[in-house]
Parts: sequence; C-alpha cells; structure tokens
Amino acid sequence: MTLHAPLQTPAASRGHIEVRNLGIRFDTRHGRLDAVDDVSIHVQPGEFVSLIGPSGCGKSTLLNVVAGFLDPTSGETLLDGRPIDGPGSDRGVVFQQYSLFPWMTVRKNVEFGLKMQGLSPSERETQARTLLGLAGLLSFENHYPDQLSGGMKQRVGIVRALATSPQVLLMDEPFGALDSQTRVVMQEILTNMWQRLRLSVLFITHDIDEAVFLSDRVYVMTSRPGRIKSEMVVPLPRPRTPEMTASPQFAAMVRTIRSLIREESLAAMGGELGDGGLAGLSTEIGPQGMSAVI
Amino acid sequence: MKTAQLMKRDFDGDSADSPARTEASVTLLPVGATLAPRAEPQPKPAPTHGGALLAWTRRQAGDWAMAAVSIGLVLLAWYLATRFKLDFYIRFNNIPTPADVLDKVVEANRSAKFITNIGISVRRILLGFAIASVLGMGLGVLIGRYRRVRQLCMPALEVFRPIPAIAWVPMSIMLWPSNEVSIVFITFIGAFFPILLNTVHGVEAIDPVLLRAARSLGAKERSLLAHVVLPGALPHIFTGLAVGMGVAWVSLIAAEMISGQFGIGYFTWEAYSLISYAEIALGMITIGVLGLLCSGAIRMVARMTMPWLAFSAGGKKS
Repeated sequence: MTLHAPLQTPAASRGHIEVRNLGIRFDTRHGRLDAVDDVSIHVQPGEFVSLIGPSGCGKSTLLNVVAGFLDPTSGETLLDGRPIDGPGSDRGVVFQQYSLFPWMTVRKNVEFGLKMQGLSPSERETQARTLLGLAGLLSFENHYPDQLSGGMKQRVGIVRALATSPQVLLMDEPFGALDSQTRVVMQEILTNMWQRLRLSVLFITHDIDEAVFLSDRVYVMTSRPGRIKSEMVVPLPRPRTPEMTASPQFAAMVRTIRSLIREESLAAMGGELGDGGLAGLSTEIGPQGMSAVI
Repeated sequence: MKTAQLMKRDFDGDSADSPARTEASVTLLPVGATLAPRAEPQPKPAPTHGGALLAWTRRQAGDWAMAAVSIGLVLLAWYLATRFKLDFYIRFNNIPTPADVLDKVVEANRSAKFITNIGISVRRILLGFAIASVLGMGLGVLIGRYRRVRQLCMPALEVFRPIPAIAWVPMSIMLWPSNEVSIVFITFIGAFFPILLNTVHGVEAIDPVLLRAARSLGAKERSLLAHVVLPGALPHIFTGLAVGMGVAWVSLIAAEMISGQFGIGYFTWEAYSLISYAEIALGMITIGVLGLLCSGAIRMVARMTMPWLAFSAGGKKS
C-alpha cells in the first residue's frame, strides 16, 4: 500500500501540538464560568491522542482553541512551536455534525480546501477524485450530502479534512452521531487510515472503548472546570485490530478509565444536586416559607 | 436526561453488554479492512427509468386534470352567475360573461394599446424587482453577517418597513423627476423589504459549524461570503424573492391606478372610467396571469439554482 502524493506529510517532524496552562472562562448571564482550568497537554508528531471526560468537561472547548475557533483566557497553544492564531488548513477539523456543505456535491466538498489554496479546477478534481477513490466514495462523487448515510457523510468529512494535507487532524466526537455498528466500522477505517498517514490526531470522545482502541495515549479530564485528571499510555501494539478489544489489556485499561470517569460524573451530579435541586427544595419547605404561605 | 443516558452507556455495559458487542464487531469486520468501500446501503436506489417516467407522467396528468377541473368550476360559476344575472346582495347584473371577455381578449390582442400596456408593466416590474433584489440581497448579507452594519441600518429600516408601498405614492411623485421613475420606485419599495428581511434571516440561520468548517479549510472572509454565507442563505433568499415579487405586483398595480399613464393597472382603471366592463375583467385576468408567470419563473430559477434541496429532509414539497 503506497501513500499517494496529496496525502504525504513529512511525518515525525511536523504536527506537534503543545497546550500549556490553558484556561478558558466564559462570561455568562449568571456570572463567570470556568470551562477549562490550567490544562497542559501535548501531541507528538504522528501520535494519536484522545481526550476523554464526562459530558460538559470542556473537552470540545479545548479542541476549539487548538482549531483556532476560540481564544483562550490564559495559557498558550502552539503548533510546531508557533502560537495558534485563528483557524487554518494546517489543522484539519472533523465535526460531530458532519458539517458538509449541503449545496456542494461530495467532490466539491472535498475540493473546497484545495480551492481555497488556489489550485486550478483540474488539479482540484484530480486530487479530490484520488482521495475519494481511496475512501471508496468515488461512485458518490456527484451525490449531495443529504443523499448519503451518516457513516458515509463522516467519511466524506474526514476525506475533506485530509485533502489539504494538514499536519494535524482534530476530531470532535466524530462518530458520536452514528449508530454503534457504523461507529465500530468507522473506528477501524480511521485506525487503518492513521496507520498509513501517521499524522498527529487529537481525538475528543466520551466513548472509552473508542478512545482505547484508537489511541497511543489517553488524557482523562475532570468535570467542570475541566482539568487533566490522568494521562495513560495505551499498551496495545500497532496496527490495531478489532480482536484486540477482547484482550485483557484492553479490558483493564477500559476498566481503569471507566472508574476514573465515574468518579467525575458522580462528583458533577452531586454538585448539581447540592447547588441547585436540594438547596432549593429545603428552603421551600422551611418553616418560615410555610408560615408565610399560610 | 442526556447525562443519564451517557452514564448508562458508559458505566452499565460491563457484564452483559460488552462481550456481545466485541464479538459482533469481530465478526462484522474483516481484518485489514482499509478505506475500501463497505457494503453500505446505496441511498435511494432509483426505480427503472421507464417505470419512473410512467409514474411521473401519471402524477403530472393527475395534477393537470385537477387544475382543469379547478379552473373549470370557477368559469362555470362565473358563467351561471352572469347568464342568470344573479342579484343576491352581490350583483352580477353588469358583470360581463366569460364569452364577452373572451371576445375582448381576441380584440385586445390585435390592438397595440393593450400589448404596450402589458409591456410597460412588465418593464416596471423587472426594473423595480431587479434593483430590489440586488440591494436587498447585498444589504441583507451585510446586515446578517456584521453586527455593526446591523446596528447602523436596522433602526432606520425598521421605521420605513411598516409604511406600505402604496403610501409612498404621493411622496414618490414629488421625489422623482418623472412619473415612470416614481412607479418603478414604488415597485422597488414593495419588493425590497421582503427580500432584505428574508436574506438577513437566511444569513443568521446558517449553521455556525459550517462557517467553522470553511475557515478550518482555509477560507477567508471573502470566500466565506461567496461560498458559504450566500449559498447557505439561498433557500431563505428565494422565499424573499417570491414574496417580494407578489408585493411588487400589488404595489405596481396600485401605483398605476393612482398616478399612472399606461400599464395594465392603468388599463383596468381606465376601463372602469369608460364603463367598459369586459375590459375590467380582462385587465384583472391579465394581472393574475402575469403574476402567476412571474412567481412560476422564480420557482423555476430556485429549483435550478438549488438542486440539492430535492434531497434535503424538508425540501420535498409536492
């Protein structure tokens, strides 16, 4: 299996993400909200790293900062030593909601990034068709996204993100909207693709099996404000195969992460109940409240 | 609710769930699967060409038959009411019969006056509507996209918006150097606001994820406007164009009746002054047909400009 030219990246040298002491705070109507607090992570060139945590822990927010969609409140994010300043085609992004342009055919979607780079129409077409061929989507090149299934849409989304030969792929729960069967297939497609391309991937998910199966390293985040609770190296060999999910190493790793996240989820839910629900309840049925009503 | 579901998925499946799932995934996936095509269901396999064409023809024929019945019933009611000079609160004594009007149609089509009137009205509509489209879409995109432009323009526009185009007639006659320009202006006013407001709404309704996706693919602001914002807003823009065309006709006819020389609205009003009853009906029917043709043209352009809507979830209007 040879690499095709548009996909070739000088791997192992570029695509180094470094996030240092990152803090993200939102000003909301109800005061300030710390989404992410003092997070430091890194992705080595050619490494597959997952970020996992309970829902609302700020993991997507973190990815949005690396993508350049969001400015951090404090700390810094570097790509190959340069500060990240806005989005750019050196970082391909795959979104949970597919985010294909509905008014463009599959091929035009894939060509979009190349068009922005100023390639001629014929060059764009050749490259897009090659990529779609590799992804097994060539017969759908003239379909519109709304004609495709969820799994196919997301494959187009991945191909589109790869078309500009980025050094880094940022994936924000890319398989979260798919049914579990399609999801497993997509995970395997992704790991095979990564095996060939060896580009750096930052992968956001709340699916523990998915994170362990795909990653070299996994960061587990705390509930809000999101901090790094733990960092683990996945001991499974490469290339990954579906059989590995039955191995004791896989099971042990999943179990460890599951208990870490359970702690966080329970803490988060306890906090919600303590702050809001229970407190509200007790004041309402307090003696003063009763007498006032009567 | 969402938390509960996540909890269940993430933490429950330890014993019974995951072995089954693992097994399933092993049998499902041949080792070494690559980017190669999967046996995913082909979306919407089209029926054979002949069958599809036949079904389509049958559906079309049904539509046409019902349309003929619909219009036929109106003509029949009109004929009966005028034939028997129905006088029951509404009076059909002076109303021409369909046959009278048909005679008029034949006669009018031979006269240069009638054709000229139609031509003049169509020219006014096209001119006013074209200016309204360009300004409405252009300004609408800017207002929808940039907060500062919105803050600057919207208050003033909101003041003018409730003023019906017809209320502009006296002012318009004073403002513009010729009668002709003032009528085009009134037509423009009628079309402008629906186009503007729908464009603004369309731009604001674009999924922000699409904008992010485009920017992560290297799109700068200008490309974003041309390739994402504008096509993304197109469905709403066409709604605005269709509504705007309707209002433009209303405004044009009113303006022609009040201040006009020439035009199909003027023709109709003149017929009333001259007590030419058949021409009143002819004028009305002509206005109806012209309006129908215009909105049909917009629908056709919309279908050609936005072929993807045929496949979107809410786009299959029959």
